[in-house]
Amino acid sequence: MTKSPPAGTFQRRIVIAAALSVAAFALVGIRLVDVTVLHAGKEASGVAAVPSTLRADLLDRNGKLLARDLPVDDLYARPHTFWNKEQAAHNLSKVTGASEARLKRAFHGSREYVLVARQITPDVKDRVMSLGLPGIEFQTGGKRFYPEGRGAAQVIGVTDPDGNGVSGLELGLEKRLRNQEPGAAVTTSLDMRVQYILAHEARKAKETLDAHAAGGIVLDVRTGEVIAMVSLPDYDPNGPFTKADSRRNMIVQDVYELGSVFKVLTFAMAMEDHTIGLDDWLPIGAGFKIGKWTIREAHHMPAMLTARDVLAQSSNAGTAQIALRSGPQRQREFLSNLGLLHAVSSELPETAKPLYPHNWQQIQTATIGFGHGISVTPLAFAAAAAVVVNGGRKITPTLLKHPGDARGAQILRPETSAIMRDLLRYVVTNGTGRNADVPGYDIGGKTGSAEKNVNGRYVAHKLLVSFFATFPAKDPRYIVFVLIDEPHGGKGGVLSLAGHTAAPLAGSVIARIAPILGVPKEPVPPDAKENS
Amino acid sequence: MIRILNFVCVIVAGLSCLALYHVSERTRVARVELSHVHRQIAHERGLTAVLEAEWGRVAEPGRIQQLAQTRLGLEDATSVQLASFDMLPRRGEAAPLSTSPIRNASVVAPAAPRASVPTHIAQPQQARTYRIAAVRIGM
Repeated sequence: MTKSPPAGTFQRRIVIAAALSVAAFALVGIRLVDVTVLHAGKEASGVAAVPSTLRADLLDRNGKLLARDLPVDDLYARPHTFWNKEQAAHNLSKVTGASEARLKRAFHGSREYVLVARQITPDVKDRVMSLGLPGIEFQTGGKRFYPEGRGAAQVIGVTDPDGNGVSGLELGLEKRLRNQEPGAAVTTSLDMRVQYILAHEARKAKETLDAHAAGGIVLDVRTGEVIAMVSLPDYDPNGPFTKADSRRNMIVQDVYELGSVFKVLTFAMAMEDHTIGLDDWLPIGAGFKIGKWTIREAHHMPAMLTARDVLAQSSNAGTAQIALRSGPQRQREFLSNLGLLHAVSSELPETAKPLYPHNWQQIQTATIGFGHGISVTPLAFAAAAAVVVNGGRKITPTLLKHPGDARGAQILRPETSAIMRDLLRYVVTNGTGRNADVPGYDIGGKTGSAEKNVNGRYVAHKLLVSFFATFPAKDPRYIVFVLIDEPHGGKGGVLSLAGHTAAPLAGSVIARIAPILGVPKEPVPPDAKENS
Repeated sequence: MIRILNFVCVIVAGLSCLALYHVSERTRVARVELSHVHRQIAHERGLTAVLEAEWGRVAEPGRIQQLAQTRLGLEDATSVQLASFDMLPRRGEAAPLSTSPIRNASVVAPAAPRASVPTHIAQPQQARTYRIAAVRIGM
């Protein structure tokens, strides 16, 4: 017979077993608390995360998509796994469009991985998979797609194949686009309806006038928002670059001697300084002599003009006299206050410094008065012109949506701004800007026809024409500034002047965008003709 | 008594193990399903993104304008053809039709094809002529 263990041994075993059971249940309980309470709601590890795009979407001010990363794959191959490298190269070339010769060379090389094709679309991926080749790998990525195509190519810009911004807002907003939460977007100030109309009309004008380039900008004078910005020639951001394309954005990247539109600023300075009254008479006819130079007119003028008509008829001699009343130092200070003597800062990385004389004397004051001898970007001029009409307060152009009033420091007196608005309306009703008038919309504006400087000489038949318009003139909300580089208007160049080229362009743009922008329409007199 | 208690404990421990295994397995399956759903959501989001981009392309204003001009014969309205609501006469106000800019215009709506209309629905009689007031200011 075996001897049974003593009772104390049983009890000890039971206690050990009970302790182990309690410990086991305690472990389970602790784990339950950990999972259900402490880590409640947290995603279990190992669950595939939702792949997010590399860059955020770009939207226009109405939520219309401007740029988006679409899912695409980079295709890699491991050549040493192929039974027949020649055949694999042939098949992959046929399916992906990659160079067969390059693939053959690469497959016979020493590299373990070979990049076959970048950014292949899902249908190409399916065709590659159907080849049944071993050693095929896909690296998921994104390809930037621009649904509007050429619509705002230079403004939006492009990215390189690695998804880094190269130009335009893609570069200027690089950090913001990369640091957005998944699914979030960056909303720009652009209105693609207005952008399309401006581009459409500018393209028509460029083709009709056989011009080198054309462009324009629509700016909100209260918020500083750029509603539209166009530069032609442009390019298709989704397609390959061709010879006829241009990635230059003439509105922010190029500086121009803008000519007579600058007279608006000279008159604003004169009104601010009280150096002349609008009904004061000025001698015009034979030109204005200053030192050894004589400032002449682009076309015939009467012997005398009132200051009001100096602007309306765009007299160089008259404007030079008005500029000289303020003097070089004051003119320089005035233009500097308007931001015209330094590069404009905006979200666009492209910018250009203005060109102006270091030796700013009497003759420079006279010529700068009518827009020669100083070169600025169209964006800089538009921002300065906005100050003239918006009550005299500084604005900073922006390409991000910013609906609130963003007017800053008072640069001009509100009274000066009110006088200038009336004057600009007078130019359209009684002066060189008649062709910009649109029945029902109260437009003010000023023409500019500047001879281009080629190799140090001004060439009469090479013009840069422009028109600066503001509407509604009584209480401006928007300005439209359009330019045409070397238009060919015929009739000895007379029809190339801004009044016959840029002014109608501005008018046709305003006629189409004003209803979209909700600008109130004035009753049209029965005898008003259609602006067509 | 001790033996019974031990037996019960062992049974409970065994059942607990089974229950834990069952919960663990269900959790694993749920995680796999969750992972699958996440992938599906990501895939659907990708497709939606592609569709939205495609919609942006086909709804591009230039394309719409071209289609409107070639297919519908539409043209840009000039400013004198546009009016705001406050320019329209209020209900009951006299709106002389011949002397004011308000004129009558008519449009003919084509009759619907009979074959496509179910028999229990009343058939349209003829092409109907609707008279509408078109605002023509300054003409």
